[in-house]
Amino acid sequence: MLSLSVNGQAYPVDVPDDMPLLWVLRDVIGLTGTKFGCGIAQCGACTVHLDGQAVRSCVLPVGSIGNRAITTIEAVGNTPSGQKIQQAWLDVDVVQCGYCQSGQIMSAAALLQRTPNPNDADIDAAMSGNICRCGTYVRIRAAIKQAATGKQEILQTLVSAPEGAKS
Amino acid sequence: MTRFLIIVVLVALLGMGAYFYLNRTDTAEGTAPPIAGAPSSADVLARGEYLTKAADCIACHTVPGTGSAFAGGVAFKLPFGTIYSPNITADEASGIGNWSDNDFVRAVREGIRNDGQHLYPAFPYTSYTQLSRSDVLAIKAYLFSLPKISQANKANDLSFPYNQRWAMGFWNAAFFKSQRFTPDPSQSQQWNSGKYLTIALGHCAECHTPRNFGFGLEHGNELAGEELQGWRAYNITSDPQHGIGAWSDSDIASYLTTGHADGRGSAAGPMAEAVENSLRFLNPADAAALATYLRTVPAREGKDPITIDATAAPTLASNNAAPGGDNANADNPGLKLFEGACASCHQWNGKGQQTSYASLLGTRGVNDVHGTNVTQILLHGAGPHALAPNIFMPEFGNAYSDTDIASLTNYVIGHFGNKQGNVTPDEVAQRRKQL
Repeated sequence: MLSLSVNGQAYPVDVPDDMPLLWVLRDVIGLTGTKFGCGIAQCGACTVHLDGQAVRSCVLPVGSIGNRAITTIEAVGNTPSGQKIQQAWLDVDVVQCGYCQSGQIMSAAALLQRTPNPNDADIDAAMSGNICRCGTYVRIRAAIKQAATGKQEILQTLVSAPEGAKS
Repeated sequence: MTRFLIIVVLVALLGMGAYFYLNRTDTAEGTAPPIAGAPSSADVLARGEYLTKAADCIACHTVPGTGSAFAGGVAFKLPFGTIYSPNITADEASGIGNWSDNDFVRAVREGIRNDGQHLYPAFPYTSYTQLSRSDVLAIKAYLFSLPKISQANKANDLSFPYNQRWAMGFWNAAFFKSQRFTPDPSQSQQWNSGKYLTIALGHCAECHTPRNFGFGLEHGNELAGEELQGWRAYNITSDPQHGIGAWSDSDIASYLTTGHADGRGSAAGPMAEAVENSLRFLNPADAAALATYLRTVPAREGKDPITIDATAAPTLASNNAAPGGDNANADNPGLKLFEGACASCHQWNGKGQQTSYASLLGTRGVNDVHGTNVTQILLHGAGPHALAPNIFMPEFGNAYSDTDIASLTNYVIGHFGNKQGNVTPDEVAQRRKQL
């Protein structure tokens, strides 16, 4: 019986050591915000944090985690960098279909955590392993910069009705 | 005229004499040094099973994934054609069920089948000739205790003159010596056991010793490394720079029995098969004995020696998540590929994130400027294998062009080995066809 620390909570799980963390998160614990994409660490959809570092959970044997803290998309909003990233994602309206976005947000939050003011090269290095079939890369880059600086990078989403409009 | 004929006859007689002298058989039964995993007190089938694993018979005589253990049919693509391994189950019609003990011993130690025909030295009788008769018969007893599988042998596809089996008699005269293992009394028992495991059972030299123009082993260059079937079998002499002289005992034991040693490398390709099928079953005392012998193999530089830079500057300048000091490389297509497909597991600092098997710093692959094994692993992937069922490297051969693989390999050699890689797309195209 393993004990995993997920989002600050301890989960005893009875699974084989070689089961990938993604399976444990989704099928055993029931946290389905983290997505399965390719299964071979090539698309980034399954990204979670292990002690704040972005890892691909689809190829991470659960037995190798030990007592390191796992953070998933469900709780990344509780970290300062995750909170900023999620707000910027909303303000810029990054998401199109959304399937890859849990992973995108986890990679971006880990980047902002270690590099508070990333330049384009930093963003390329951190985000290249996260693939988006809808091609939201331009908005992802803008949202990361906006989360870092607080300055608006591109057109923002309308979050409230314009003055005079009927509600 | 008469004088001329006499000379011809004399030369022919001398030639025949030399042929038979060089092909003489060592008639000794042979004695093996103690093998911890197969003590002489053990049951013959238990000994046979252990020795069969230590000799890695299954690797060549079983098509992976078929479950038809020892039924043969594995293809060996050689420069002169393709050889298929035969069925060595006890099936009378298609296997070796009718072979007597003497037939089997002669095939294993002399390379001659029960019908008197020569075997090709793709079968390592050149190494197994050192085995003791009792060990060979234990292997036979074990093979004969397994299910018989009726599977006809595939005909070899060799061009003339390589399809002439009798010609191997001349090859044997030149390159093969029938000879039983003789212990060296000046060395420890452990060393002698290790030598027997290395040169006879494990037949390590068949891949790791360079071959001469006639595909014979260069015995003066034992274990100095060789390239075959598109993979590089590394130098495993005691040379501290180019061999494994700097490895600790636990590095060697760990590599042999798990396929990985931290900071040294992870087995892939044919060596991963050797670990999976054979070496991981070695009793710890036998693995230690093997390492003891390897440590005494004279240091040799070998062909195209690899010099490891275990503190490659570009790697040390990087952290786990971002490259450092690679600004000059920013537009390098190799770097772009690495950051998209490789960095999430291998990391820029070469430590390997999900598993230590993914660590690259200090390994021979990334320090080989020819990038032989790196391109193979990129093209064909690695693992998963029985010891680490969830650890594997995906294959990129179908996703990336030859140019992509070449630039990625050269980037990896530059970043993790701090050397200029010289892999060309043409070489990648060649390696794509292998394995």
